[in-house]
Amino acid sequence: MKQNYDFDIKQIKNLSMEEKIFRQKNLDLFYKSGFPSKQFEDWKFTDLNLILNKNFENISNEVNFESNKQLEIIKNFEHNYIFLNNGKIISTSFAFEEKNKILIKDFDQKGPTNLDSGNTLTLLNNALSSGGFSLEVNKNYKLKKPLVIYNYFSKDLKNKILNNKNSIKLNKGSELMLIDYNEGHTQSNFIKNTIDTVSLDENAVLKNICIQESKCNGHFYKYIKGSLESGSNYENYILSSGLKLNKIEIEINLNNDNSSCSIFSALNLLEDQHQEIKTRINHNSPNCKSYQKIKNVLNDTSRGVYQGKIFVEKIAQKTDAYQLSKALILNDDAEFDAKPELEIYADDVKCSHGSTSGSIDSDAIYYLMTRGIPKEEAVKLLINGFLNEILENITTSKVKIFLEKILERQINGH
Amino acid sequence: MLKIKDLKATINEKLILNGLNLEIKPGEVHAIMGPNGSGKSTLANVLSGKNGYEIEGEIYFDGINLDDLKIEERAQKGIFLAFQYPLEIPGVNTNNFLKTSLNSVRKARGEKELDTLTFLKLIKEKVKELNIDEKFLSRQLNVGFSGGEKKKNEILQMKLLEPKLSILDETDSGLDIDALRIVADGVNSYKNKENAFLIITHYQRLLDYIKPDYIHVLSAGKIIKTGNSDLGEQLEKTGYANLG
Repeated sequence: MKQNYDFDIKQIKNLSMEEKIFRQKNLDLFYKSGFPSKQFEDWKFTDLNLILNKNFENISNEVNFESNKQLEIIKNFEHNYIFLNNGKIISTSFAFEEKNKILIKDFDQKGPTNLDSGNTLTLLNNALSSGGFSLEVNKNYKLKKPLVIYNYFSKDLKNKILNNKNSIKLNKGSELMLIDYNEGHTQSNFIKNTIDTVSLDENAVLKNICIQESKCNGHFYKYIKGSLESGSNYENYILSSGLKLNKIEIEINLNNDNSSCSIFSALNLLEDQHQEIKTRINHNSPNCKSYQKIKNVLNDTSRGVYQGKIFVEKIAQKTDAYQLSKALILNDDAEFDAKPELEIYADDVKCSHGSTSGSIDSDAIYYLMTRGIPKEEAVKLLINGFLNEILENITTSKVKIFLEKILERQINGH
Repeated sequence: MLKIKDLKATINEKLILNGLNLEIKPGEVHAIMGPNGSGKSTLANVLSGKNGYEIEGEIYFDGINLDDLKIEERAQKGIFLAFQYPLEIPGVNTNNFLKTSLNSVRKARGEKELDTLTFLKLIKEKVKELNIDEKFLSRQLNVGFSGGEKKKNEILQMKLLEPKLSILDETDSGLDIDALRIVADGVNSYKNKENAFLIITHYQRLLDYIKPDYIHVLSAGKIIKTGNSDLGEQLEKTGYANLG
């Protein structure tokens, strides 16, 4: 297949010789196989190479990070924020927090990278990464308000690729609610390739909520790698419908006793949108818990994919792992693929998984209509109910109301 | 208010209602009794507009041919069906559902939709009248509700939507005596000269609390006997087998 990209590490400024060599090495490796296609098992439902060939001309990594756009703050709840343009920090505000408890800076691209290089997008990210942030929260500090990351994108991104790396580290006993907020009004076709490294020390708690607020021609790939120490808890919520293409790959390593993670996803896909959630939960230690609930509503010719793997090491006794994917298919031309996998080497574990897909319950619609609710409204109410379920663990009421409104907007097609 | 003329209803090529005639006037309470399979629930479904039935004959509600009205329009015009088995709808918040329902009906009637606060005040009053715990409003619609709670929820919806004709389909089934009394009180307090009730039931039990003006016995899709409230007591003793 033709190569429709032209990448150059010269576009990245201020690189040392050593960095240039490292980046060029990664780029050369990327060029050997290009963007992943369905020949790779991990990409069998999302043929990225094919999709990019169809939708892009000559992809380049020439990106301008300057921004003169005014930040529009969410008014629904008080929060701290990081404002990113094309992935680079423009400004930050921690007005609600104690000083010196939170460290925020540009991501140190020189730092060690030890990510699985079997994925060519990782190679590409290693080669071209610029921008991104590192966030660290001090021991025992619990942020009083959520932290919103405003992701803005400039208008001149047509046929461009953004490569960012971010790192989030919560030290022992610290807590944070992190809201990844994508404000993607841009109509131009662009690609975003992000790697997030999440590290939670003993008893740290991170709630991470990913929101895509509006329809966007972005093609996003995000790889989240989480490492959890004992007693820590990571909750991930994905409400990011609206993107033309979105693949979120989450790898969580439960490295020490009593750590736990959960992944909740509620997606309402329209038109020809394509979204994949791929998870791998590694139970590397005894007494850990993982919970996944993935919900998709598929309209038009959209396609949803869930590939979920639970891996339980031999020593990881008393593992409690659960995964469920449910899809509502509202159109014959829409498609949902689920591939649940369990790989278990311990013998005293509780692991279960389930996957259902079907159309909307006609008896439920009838019931609602007998209460005077027109059919279209009844369908929306049911979709809303179907998706809303994933928010039941969010206890911050103002944030919850905000998220409910976002879901409602998603259901109304933005 | 309601006029049914020679109603026939078929589902999956099976004839369920076979020439049913019934007239209900404002202020009246009618009870329909009959053995299993006689067509009681079918009558309720057909009146509410449920899909899947082939209909012959005529049904007029306030002079309008029901055939011309969609399910939700029947509800908006004032027909209410309390379900025998109210549906559990996961994820749908009860309060949100009730508000959407009331506002849909109000909108269709040309009344102003209620805002969240006004609605909350109203619904809290209604909930109190029916001796329901307020917490129930924040639960998912009918999910995990006891049989009694589900039926109370139906009556709550009835009182909220203020229909002209309320059809209660086996509302007494699955109720203990206290819940039965609360449900009956709910109906009795709503009853007035303008509205009417069609109570579908197996047993006399509910009719001890809600006194009907007429009792009809339905058998094989037809009304085979009509009488006053004494008929119910008689049926309780002799059963349906000795009729017709």
